[in-house]
Amino acid sequence: MIGLAHFLTVAAMVFAIGLYGLLTKRTVVGILMSIELMLNAVNINLIAFSRFITPDVLTGQVFVIFTIAVAAAEVAIGLAMVFRVYRDRNTVHAARLNEMRW
Amino acid sequence: MNIALLTSEIAVLVLGLLIIIFDVLIPRQETHRSLGYIAACGVLAILVHSMTQYGAAATVYQGLFVVDNLALFFKQLFLAATFLTLLFSVEYVEKWIQNSGEFYALLLFALLGMMVMASANDLITMFIGMELMAIVFYALVGFELRSKKSSEAGMKYLMLGAASSAIMLYGMSWVYGFTGSLVLSQIAVKATASPAMLLGMGLMLAGLCFKLSIVPFHMWAPDVYEGAPTPITAMLAMGSKAAAFAVLIRVFLIAFSDLQEYWATIVSLLAAASMIVGIVVAIWQTNIKRMLAYSSIAQAGYILSGLLAGNVAGVKGMLFYAVLYMFATAGAFAVSTAVKNHNGSDEIEGFSGLAQKSPLLAVVMTISLLSMAGLPPMAGFVGKLYLFTAIADKGYLWLVILGFVMSMISVYYYMLVVKTMYSKARDQQEFVVRGSLQVVAVISLLASLFIGIYPGPLAKLANFAAQALW
Amino acid sequence: MLQEFGNVGLLLIVALVFPLLALGTAFLLRPRDPGVEKSLPYECGVDTVGTTWVQFRASYFLYALVFVAFDVETVFLYLWAIKFQELGTFAFVEMFIFLSILLVGLGYAWKKGALEWK
Repeated sequence: MIGLAHFLTVAAMVFAIGLYGLLTKRTVVGILMSIELMLNAVNINLIAFSRFITPDVLTGQVFVIFTIAVAAAEVAIGLAMVFRVYRDRNTVHAARLNEMRW
Repeated sequence: MNIALLTSEIAVLVLGLLIIIFDVLIPRQETHRSLGYIAACGVLAILVHSMTQYGAAATVYQGLFVVDNLALFFKQLFLAATFLTLLFSVEYVEKWIQNSGEFYALLLFALLGMMVMASANDLITMFIGMELMAIVFYALVGFELRSKKSSEAGMKYLMLGAASSAIMLYGMSWVYGFTGSLVLSQIAVKATASPAMLLGMGLMLAGLCFKLSIVPFHMWAPDVYEGAPTPITAMLAMGSKAAAFAVLIRVFLIAFSDLQEYWATIVSLLAAASMIVGIVVAIWQTNIKRMLAYSSIAQAGYILSGLLAGNVAGVKGMLFYAVLYMFATAGAFAVSTAVKNHNGSDEIEGFSGLAQKSPLLAVVMTISLLSMAGLPPMAGFVGKLYLFTAIADKGYLWLVILGFVMSMISVYYYMLVVKTMYSKARDQQEFVVRGSLQVVAVISLLASLFIGIYPGPLAKLANFAAQALW
Repeated sequence: MLQEFGNVGLLLIVALVFPLLALGTAFLLRPRDPGVEKSLPYECGVDTVGTTWVQFRASYFLYALVFVAFDVETVFLYLWAIKFQELGTFAFVEMFIFLSILLVGLGYAWKKGALEWK
């Protein structure tokens, strides 16, 4: 029987994959995709909790709809920014964003 | 449901939309300067209107959105910060930024996000407000199209900001799963110290500390502060930080108040680390915005320490300090903007001879920096006094001593800037300052001195606002 | 429970067997007559031009950005539409306020030339 723990494990795995990608990806677009993975892990978590912990009220699912909308806005801004960076320096490699150093 | 409680938010939204519409209506060749003044006047009017809302304690939308004195206090802080920023940014925007109408409108939407954060009574509202503010700031940080630094700063802020909000959301999902609720007061009822709950709380703290640029989540701050357009840097330091504190106070003192023994140690270590790193690293900075970025990390550490008291006195200290830091930052960044408009650089070297060219601005900068350092009779001294007495009562004497030593060290690098300003001028170019910028400078100067010498009224107001929590 | 999954498994087997069967029959029946023309990549019958790795025009992305932003907002319309009868006029007005805010954004993008193909 598939229970809450299964969903939480999947979500934790997706989150970990996203976190791993965030730390290892070299291109900006790859990093943005990793962040999307992390957000989707959150969505799985929220829906699972909403279904198993509070089946009568749908707060968790409503939260997910807001997360999706916000994530879309974030990615739209992110891609616009990738555009600008590419126009400035002809690359989308995160390591090349090194104009400023302490 | 009482829509009247939402008037200031609705007014800010309508103002932002009007600016967008006006921006399209004004022909492209003509100056868009008037839009900045319209926005400033509108914000001032809303600020005046919000005075009438004191004393209200009600919720809208089934308790998701609360209007109490604490929320109102923060909202007025954001409105004042935006007003000052709009006033001193007009010339900067004209000189360095295309699409000025969009710039003002986005600034107002960021303000709306902050106001929603201040009123958030559940995690969804808090998240929406925070993201509205953050997403607008991602765009604004990268708004200076001609500068490579600006796009780099925007990209970095976006990547790290999005990652931090994902981490915070993951924490929220655990808190929700454990308590079955997203409303702060109900979380407080069901919160127990189970591993899942503590994991969620820890991740939320990490996400909020990112917004506050608390060490070790501060790595973005120097780069973003340096690359962003100067008025936006000011807004990040004044508004975004205070908004994150508004959320932090509500979440940790309402929802997680029973778990204080678990978060208190971590928070005290975070505050101490921020004070040390912020102040020590600032000594070597040659860029004024970078220097102020590290200084703001240290200031965030000071304000954060107030949370440890966990009572009215502590919150009062935080509110008081947030206001005086807002005025000091407005002054410092207004002067930096004037210098950048004059010679096109952010280096501290560029301040040399400012005292001869514009004595007023040099005095404003000096007072603002010394207020941040906490020297009497400036406001910063009283602010630190309130914070330190509040946490000393709870036994955090080591933190008080550390904060005191660190603020003495900070005087050193603030004085370096002052010394540069009072040295001989490198060039003899005439220094032109627009009137609106001067107004901001004078307001900040008077506020820093007035609050320092006569702290009573503001302290009373902060106390009044802090009581809304208990 | 198991039976429901059994149905899914049956579908999986059919989905695997059917294309294999079709392709296998074609493999057995077709004449073997390789040529240059046949090994070229198929692009609607037109000869291919240039390499595969080309940069797309920036305008595609501008459209995509505007589309994504507006597309996701539709999610909120679904919930509203489902509960429309119960929510009453207040929600009706509220949704129109929401839409008019979006409309201002769309109008702005239009006026600024984001929808122009250049």
